Amino acid sequence: MGLEVDIIFKIAGVGIVVAFLHTVLDQVGKKEYAQWVTLFGFIYILFQVASIVDDLFQKIKSVFLFQ
Amino acid sequence: MVKLIGAIFIILATTWTGFEAAKHLSERPRQLRQLRSALQSLEAEIMYGHTPLHEAARRLAAQLSNPLSSFFEGFAKKLTDTETTVKDAWEDSLKDVWKQTAFKQGEFEIMKQFGETLGRHDRISQQKHIMLTLSHLEREEADAVDKQAKYEKMVKSLGFFSGLLLIILLI
Repeated sequence: MGLEVDIIFKIAGVGIVVAFLHTVLDQVGKKEYAQWVTLFGFIYILFQVASIVDDLFQKIKSVFLFQ
Repeated sequence: MVKLIGAIFIILATTWTGFEAAKHLSERPRQLRQLRSALQSLEAEIMYGHTPLHEAARRLAAQLSNPLSSFFEGFAKKLTDTETTVKDAWEDSLKDVWKQTAFKQGEFEIMKQFGETLGRHDRISQQKHIMLTLSHLEREEADAVDKQAKYEKMVKSLGFFSGLLLIILLI
């Protein structure tokens, strides 16, 4: 349980910081960099979430398929 | 505990980098203003004071603050002590002091071109050359002020937030 709460906080932190970076870069007119920062933040979080979901599927498999 | 100390180090380092970059941005218009007033006093020395160049440079060095002061001081020293032309002395002292200033390549070219005209004409054309250099520098200063207003805040917050992001990713 501890691990999962940790990962949620991490995702939230990355989200907040990336949102701030996006606003700051947007304000000075560096729109293209802002887009890239958001995109990379999104991809990073996507990888994290994908690995967790993979864990979940493995668990389901081991419970229901009796391997 | 060690993690916390590392995190503090990272955030201090990136914030400091941001502030240093911001300082560079705010230093450039200030030094350009100083340089313009220096050239204006040089013009006054030449036009109304009839001062020899090394004497005028020494007075300017006394009036100004670093790094421009050391530039004019080096220039005056080279003129009196060594056997060179004004152009070479100007360029050499410009190169010596360049690393300490916040100027960019554009200003370097302007100053170099000005050094080529220095001391080669009568007073009236010398004044015209000073005016030309002043107007060039004014343009650069407007550009520098523009850049400062645009990027100073961004660089500061960018440093802080990139440190924060790095910490979150590493924890």
